[in-house]
Amino acid sequence: MSIAALAILVPILGAVVQSAIGAKLPQTIAWITTNTTAAATAVLCAILVHKSGHGLLVTWFGGWHPRSGGVAFGIDMAVDHFGSGMALLAASLVTAALFYSHRYIDAVSPHYHSLMLLFLAGMVGFCLTGDLFNLFVLFELLSVAAYAMTAYHVEEEGPLQGAINFAITNTLGGFMVLTGIGLLYGRTGALNMAQIGETLAGKAPDGLVVVAFVLIVCGFLVKAAAVPFHLWLADAHAVAPVPLCVLFSGVMVQIGLYAIARVYWTVFSGMPELHAHALVQILMGIGGITALFGAVMCWLQRHLKRLLAFSTISHTGLFLMGIGLLEGHGLAAAGLFIVCHGLVKGGLFMGAGIVGKRVGTVDTGDAFGKGREIWPTGILFAIGALLLASVPPFGPFAGKALIEEAGQHGGFWWAPYACLVASALTAGAILRATGQIFLGWGQAPQEEDEQERGQEEQGSEEEPESDSLFETTPWMMWAPAWFLVLLGAAIPLIGGWHQWFERAANRMTDRATYAGHVLHGAPLTFPPPHISGPHTSSYVFAIFSVLGAVAVALVGMYLKPGKVLDQIADGMHAIHSGHVGDYVVYLVAGIAIIGGLTGLAVT
Amino acid sequence: MNHVPYLASAWLMLIGLYGIATSRNLIHMVLCLTVVQSSTYLLLLGVGYRLHATAPIYQGIVPGHRAVDPVVQALTLTDIVVEATVVALMLALAVVAHKRFGSLDPQKLRPLRG
Repeated sequence: MSIAALAILVPILGAVVQSAIGAKLPQTIAWITTNTTAAATAVLCAILVHKSGHGLLVTWFGGWHPRSGGVAFGIDMAVDHFGSGMALLAASLVTAALFYSHRYIDAVSPHYHSLMLLFLAGMVGFCLTGDLFNLFVLFELLSVAAYAMTAYHVEEEGPLQGAINFAITNTLGGFMVLTGIGLLYGRTGALNMAQIGETLAGKAPDGLVVVAFVLIVCGFLVKAAAVPFHLWLADAHAVAPVPLCVLFSGVMVQIGLYAIARVYWTVFSGMPELHAHALVQILMGIGGITALFGAVMCWLQRHLKRLLAFSTISHTGLFLMGIGLLEGHGLAAAGLFIVCHGLVKGGLFMGAGIVGKRVGTVDTGDAFGKGREIWPTGILFAIGALLLASVPPFGPFAGKALIEEAGQHGGFWWAPYACLVASALTAGAILRATGQIFLGWGQAPQEEDEQERGQEEQGSEEEPESDSLFETTPWMMWAPAWFLVLLGAAIPLIGGWHQWFERAANRMTDRATYAGHVLHGAPLTFPPPHISGPHTSSYVFAIFSVLGAVAVALVGMYLKPGKVLDQIADGMHAIHSGHVGDYVVYLVAGIAIIGGLTGLAVT
Repeated sequence: MNHVPYLASAWLMLIGLYGIATSRNLIHMVLCLTVVQSSTYLLLLGVGYRLHATAPIYQGIVPGHRAVDPVVQALTLTDIVVEATVVALMLALAVVAHKRFGSLDPQKLRPLRG
């Protein structure tokens, strides 16, 4: 059996075992076995990362190899650097989150463990598969596990509503993807991504293909929480248990972007007109708007988990700006940034969990100045915020610098400025919260009206597991948090990282070689990747971004917003109404706008 | 080629989306979700349909006989199974909402704002 298949089978079997006998096992044994299963999956993914160094590992299930002439009837898994790297990130974060869960969640129910492993299986399979329909099925598998875990504390109102909003919007996204797949099957008669790509290659896109493209991209953008599809993300993050937030922010959202990249390059990139400059403009536009909108919303939050959630939305916009350039350098930059951001943000969410457990609330108003005793967590937050503000030469800096340079190279002069504003605002918001909670600097955020009062009650209620506050921070909670933040910082210090990401992107963007190898077993010959490192200008931008973040934090702590700004803020809050009906309206409008623009761009 | 299945499918999707957007009852909302979902069934089956063709069961049939595409039928079955999970989960959430809060109106749940 191939390792790629094992990497999906191990967590699924683990989930089955946990749901069958997990309830009878002592809590600790169930936790250890679950954690071991996740760690074993991570090891398998690491082996895949290593073995895919030669190019592409293809497995055909049941020995259904393609017929001569390259007609695929079977279902394959095609593992390359990029896919296996995403799978490794997912498996590592799941392992860390499970490790953290043991102390964070008082009485872990057996289904929590099996859902976590199913979630992992879905993500790993999603990253490794080469079949479009399997992509959809695994998308649904990971989504359903995620909905169920969001509603883990289902007796509360918040988690219930967050889970409903999350489930409805993401399921609709799944239907969009499926409709797109159905249309593509109708056009090409194939479900294998390589074969669809071969069939479409060289042809001009007709209306049907454009509609399919838009539906698939928008469906995955719902998962990736790009504006205007982002509304579910903050709700789900605010109410889900912290280990879940680590996974949602760290990898699940990014998996949506991975899917867009995978489907674009393997399926659509052979069509000359679809590579039009206008399409790049649209994707970059969505990315830029998401980055800035998320950053402003992040700045307006007072609830720590929601604040981090909007920071994730803003960063998703930056990743989309990398991928949306539709060329190798941007993809490599996005890949590096996704890994570093996922680790750092995961660590910060774990820190927010520590605050919840020690202080009893994660609302910056209620926790104001109460975090002095847990100053080590404050240091964790400060380091994480500065890393996200892109202090050179650590992780997020390297990723952001490469995105800026790829953007400028692609003719988007505004890309570095958008990155600058987004990272300064989001990091500044985290620093502000750090100062308020851990040092008691500035003024405590005041309640302004009834509505916010309601929100605040919400905030204190959604940490039901905090009934019994911890006297000390268990090492099983702080150790993984620090480990993730430091690992995220350290990645660009490892020799050869740059080549690795450039090579991964180089291979992912080479449709013809991929298809030739999957369908005909043709030898893999990739051109060597071109590598260009961070330049001086990136360091200048990074310095401004760090200074900007500190300034933004100080302004937030000591200055009161004016009346006009307050009204604008109220307007932006009002968009995030929490009503799923509104979210669906935004979703439909977003698809219509993106579809219209793409249609105009292609014809 | 007959376009009726595609038009019907698009109609189902739009009316289902409208239903979700305006729904004031969680069970109604979940059923609207199944309406959107049935548009995908119809689309998939429509893609594989051939006029005057039989079911794709080849035992005892003359070679060369026209049959509808079996692949889309397999896809539809998978789709039904996958979405049954989602619907079951959503209905379970609706049951909990009714038990705990005595209401099925999504707008009466205290909203998560901002």
